[in-house]
Amino acid sequence: MTRQKRSHHKLKRAVAPYLYLSPSLLIIGLLMLLPMATVIAYSFQNSAVLRRDPSFAGLKHYQAIFDDPVFWASLWHTLYFTCMSVVFHMTIGMVFALMLNSDRINPRLRNVLRVLYILPWLFTAVIIAVIWRLLLEPNGVVNSILMQIGIIGSKVEWFSSPQTALHAVTFANIWAGYPLFMVSLLAGLQGIPKDFYEAADIDGAKAYQKLIFITIPQLMPIIISISLLDFIWTMQVFPLIWITTGGGPIYSTEVLSTYTYKLAFSSYNLSQASASAVVILLISLGLTLFYIRYQKAR
Amino acid sequence: MAEVVLENICKTYGNNFHAIDQLNLSVEDGEFLILVGPSGCGKSTALRMIAGLEDVTSGSLRIGGIDVVDMPPKDRDIAMVFQSYALYPHMTVFENIAFSMRLAGKPKAERKKRVDEIAKTLQLTSLLDSKPANLSGGQRQRVAMGRAMVREPAAFLMDEPLSNLDAKLRVQMRAEITSLQKQLGVTTIYVTHDQIEAMTMGDRVAVLKGGVLQQVDTPKRLYESPVNAFVAGFIGSPSMNLFEATLKGDELISGAFAIRLQDAAFVRRPGLRSYAGRKVVFGIRPEHLYDSSLESGRKYQTIPAKVTSIEELGSEHIVHLNIDAVRVDSGDPDAVQDFGLASNAVAKFEPISTVHAGSEIRLAVDDTKLHFFDPETHLAI
Repeated sequence: MTRQKRSHHKLKRAVAPYLYLSPSLLIIGLLMLLPMATVIAYSFQNSAVLRRDPSFAGLKHYQAIFDDPVFWASLWHTLYFTCMSVVFHMTIGMVFALMLNSDRINPRLRNVLRVLYILPWLFTAVIIAVIWRLLLEPNGVVNSILMQIGIIGSKVEWFSSPQTALHAVTFANIWAGYPLFMVSLLAGLQGIPKDFYEAADIDGAKAYQKLIFITIPQLMPIIISISLLDFIWTMQVFPLIWITTGGGPIYSTEVLSTYTYKLAFSSYNLSQASASAVVILLISLGLTLFYIRYQKAR
Repeated sequence: MAEVVLENICKTYGNNFHAIDQLNLSVEDGEFLILVGPSGCGKSTALRMIAGLEDVTSGSLRIGGIDVVDMPPKDRDIAMVFQSYALYPHMTVFENIAFSMRLAGKPKAERKKRVDEIAKTLQLTSLLDSKPANLSGGQRQRVAMGRAMVREPAAFLMDEPLSNLDAKLRVQMRAEITSLQKQLGVTTIYVTHDQIEAMTMGDRVAVLKGGVLQQVDTPKRLYESPVNAFVAGFIGSPSMNLFEATLKGDELISGAFAIRLQDAAFVRRPGLRSYAGRKVVFGIRPEHLYDSSLESGRKYQTIPAKVTSIEELGSEHIVHLNIDAVRVDSGDPDAVQDFGLASNAVAKFEPISTVHAGSEIRLAVDDTKLHFFDPETHLAI
């Protein structure tokens, strides 16, 4: 090969990966990075979008949302909603995965349960919201059953009472989200060598000791990865809350996504909405960086 | 330490497949017994039944005089080394070795003392804080041994523990395990498909085929007096050459050659006379065939053979030959017919032999080392 041919070949090899990447980079740039940069810019402007020549506002809009008690309530609700969802997604997902992985359950029943347990995953957020609104309405099935077995004395307005609305909407989200954990953990469980359990049997391990000393440590990479992803996704949940409670009653289910949406499209305060969106972005970014660092460390 | 006794042990799976059929085996206190056989012969199943990891369909199993058939693995006072080692990757070497003591709630100081002792014996002291992923194959193997030793069991069960190691390390670990077993004096049952491991490590070797025990004996007796053609073919490397021939008078006739048998052959095997005029299977090990042009082969009678290929190993030549005889299958499912149909015999020649592929030679046969089997039952005559 001549020197010219060799350098041409080298150049082609160097450029090729970037050519393959360019379509996706272009799309991400246009549909994600550009809007993100625009929102960040809006958060520092007065009357963003609404005026053609918005003036620079500095940190005014950030100051405004940090002074707004509804923002702090939303932040607290978001954290409660997210933490409870992730913890219960993981707990329920783990219990179901362990059940589905157990040899003690009849294989046919296991297949039926596998389909049943995964059902919530097949529904979109809108359908889940509608199902739970119907189930939890004052004259719905849940109230009827709870009254029949004597847990509640009178009908509870689950989504309309400030005392119960946040718990109810969190419960609906837990129901909708555990299958991701279940499927991931089940795949992980099936990958744990049988020898580990047999060696533990010979060493005299009880069932709970095998869970603590073998199963959970072996699943830890999956548990951490999925928990972080679930945390990031759940923090941004909008349709479920918007359709079930709309953030009410009296802000009791207001989360950062509904708070931002209302600022933007109810109050038309796009600058403040942008500032709120940037706060969500920063929290998500922090978690994402943590996730990436964890993945790299592995 | 304890005696392990298996009486009429059977293992049948749901599809009526008999993995083990009427296995009777008695392993003496402190003995090193090897269970050997080709793939699927039931050796690992037998070991797992002793460990309690597989249910026994019928029969009795005693460890140290106690019937353990219905006992869970933890109560059988055994320790097992797995083929994969089953080391927990998230635990350090120390934690892996101390795992059973931790489960038993032993104090930390006691755990440390015991693990330190074992680590010293196994030369693992500097690796106690390492994770299994950072260890070499041989070191992992030693950790697995340490985990078994820490329990001070009545018996060690080892399921092909060297099969994941490269050939060189396997030789070294073979010697290490053997000397460790002698040092500890613990009854050991060791499963392998590698007949070299079987011959070099065990006090006695039990050969299994299709779930049926074929022979249990010392390595020397297995080699010298196999009870049937399967054991004859399975023990020894390369395998014994087995051919069909007709016994006429004191001669074995096969195709264009005849091998004259000495009177001693008939004295040693009185039953051989009854095969006069009939077909018989005869076997000869590769190391008992010689190059007739060399000093070592001059004293033996010769038969014609054609050299098909040669493997020069430095210390010896493995010579693949074709002789005018019908080869008999020993029944070893793992055996590979050498080079298709081109050769039907293997010989080990001294490295000074100058035979080359394609040459017609006279093959010297040490007729005192011939083995004879019934052509129907393949049982030794």
